Amino acid sequence: MRPSDRSYLESHEWAKLDGDVVTVGITDFAVEQLGELVYLDLPSVGDSVSSGDAFGEVESVKAVSDLNSPVDGEIVAVNDGLADELDALQTAPMAGGWLIQVRVSGADAMDGMLDAAAYEELVVAQS
Amino acid sequence: MATSPTQKLLQTPLHSCHQAAGAKLVPFAGWEMPLDYGSILGEARAVRASAGVFDVSHMARFWFRGPSAAVELDHALGGCVTDIAVGKARYSMLLQEDGGILDDLITYRTAEDAFFMVVNASNRDRDRDHLVSRLTDTVFEDITEDGGGILALQGPAAVKILQQLTGIDDLAPGFLDLAWPQSPFGELFIARTGYTGELGFEIFVTAKQAVPVWNRLLELGVHPVGLGARDVLRLEAGLALYGHEIHEAINPFEAGLGFAVRGWKTRNFIGGEALRNAAEASRVLVGFTAEKRVPREGYPVLCDGVEVGVICSGIYSATLDLPIATAYVQKGAVGAFTVSARGKEFPVQLAELPFVPHRSRG
Repeated sequence: MRPSDRSYLESHEWAKLDGDVVTVGITDFAVEQLGELVYLDLPSVGDSVSSGDAFGEVESVKAVSDLNSPVDGEIVAVNDGLADELDALQTAPMAGGWLIQVRVSGADAMDGMLDAAAYEELVVAQS
Repeated sequence: MATSPTQKLLQTPLHSCHQAAGAKLVPFAGWEMPLDYGSILGEARAVRASAGVFDVSHMARFWFRGPSAAVELDHALGGCVTDIAVGKARYSMLLQEDGGILDDLITYRTAEDAFFMVVNASNRDRDRDHLVSRLTDTVFEDITEDGGGILALQGPAAVKILQQLTGIDDLAPGFLDLAWPQSPFGELFIARTGYTGELGFEIFVTAKQAVPVWNRLLELGVHPVGLGARDVLRLEAGLALYGHEIHEAINPFEAGLGFAVRGWKTRNFIGGEALRNAAEASRVLVGFTAEKRVPREGYPVLCDGVEVGVICSGIYSATLDLPIATAYVQKGAVGAFTVSARGKEFPVQLAELPFVPHRSRG
């Protein structure tokens, strides 16, 4: 099972809350489904993101996919070198391949997301 | 090709081989097919560097037999059939009355009165219906589901591999030649054809030959290659794919495939009258490269900010290590080309087709 220290979206993003900052990435399952990555488009620090809306795009040899924000808030950090070093996203999407950090307001920012067990069920169903 | 999950997918005779080789299997035109064996780009590079084998047993296999077959097919297809020599293959097309392309295909003349044909899996039923309705005395047979299949052996090492596979040291069929060599697997039916731009062969195997031939090719160091890399290789080679560069609203000339309807000015065939009366094409098929993002199918193409066309196919090129694409654009469009990708524009550069030179004639 994937780490229980974070929450998951059905579109295969993960979000980990630390204080009032949520780190957002895509799961290893998402990367496996995408295949070899060729392009990543991330927003800038200071941009706003909205829950359910695309904040960027990731592209593989075969397809392009939206990156969906799990939360509302302002971007306080972007994994800057990642677009030029896609290996980190390809091989460690749950760790060094994180995408953005978002400052959220309210402890309920992650409500409605899947926990690790529910996400595991989804992955099994889609495998 | 999307397939509803309730529909039972067909499996090729190599299904268990793909599973054993770690393939990612996906639905494609009603078949469960290997998308890749771990790396689309790695598989494409292996074909260019040495040799790869593709299971393309999903493609439809037809037979046409009878003394009238040549003349009737000559009328039914866009390309001349009567002058195909016995033992030769030819690329051709199935056209609508209005000259639009229903499918592209290869016809193999195995005897004076016998023709084998391979068409796209996604068009199998429609092609069969059109062809049968256009023939009178020819005996038609669809053997797609007879348990046999097609293995495409492609790459610069293909001749040597074929010689090792058959045990015939001087076996070297010429471009578009057919051959029936004896081998440890019995007589093989092969053609010097392919869809990668590389020198290669398509091996038409029986149900009994499929698995042993596949396994022997892998033993000989041939890389298994999935449909993902096949798409990379064919686009690098500028080879058309039905549903992308060619379809019902495109005629062979617009697609740059006039050679596939050789003799069109004088021959009597379905679609010929329309081609003779067709106005000069107002759009032209071009190639583009891009820096980072892949121009994908359906993205609008702009020239100096004005929309002039649309992307047909786009993929990341394993050989050039950059994104490549084909597009139909208005003839004569000159200026700075961009594509509009999901609301964002990025520049693309015109490139000669094919992106990677053909070596198929060897």
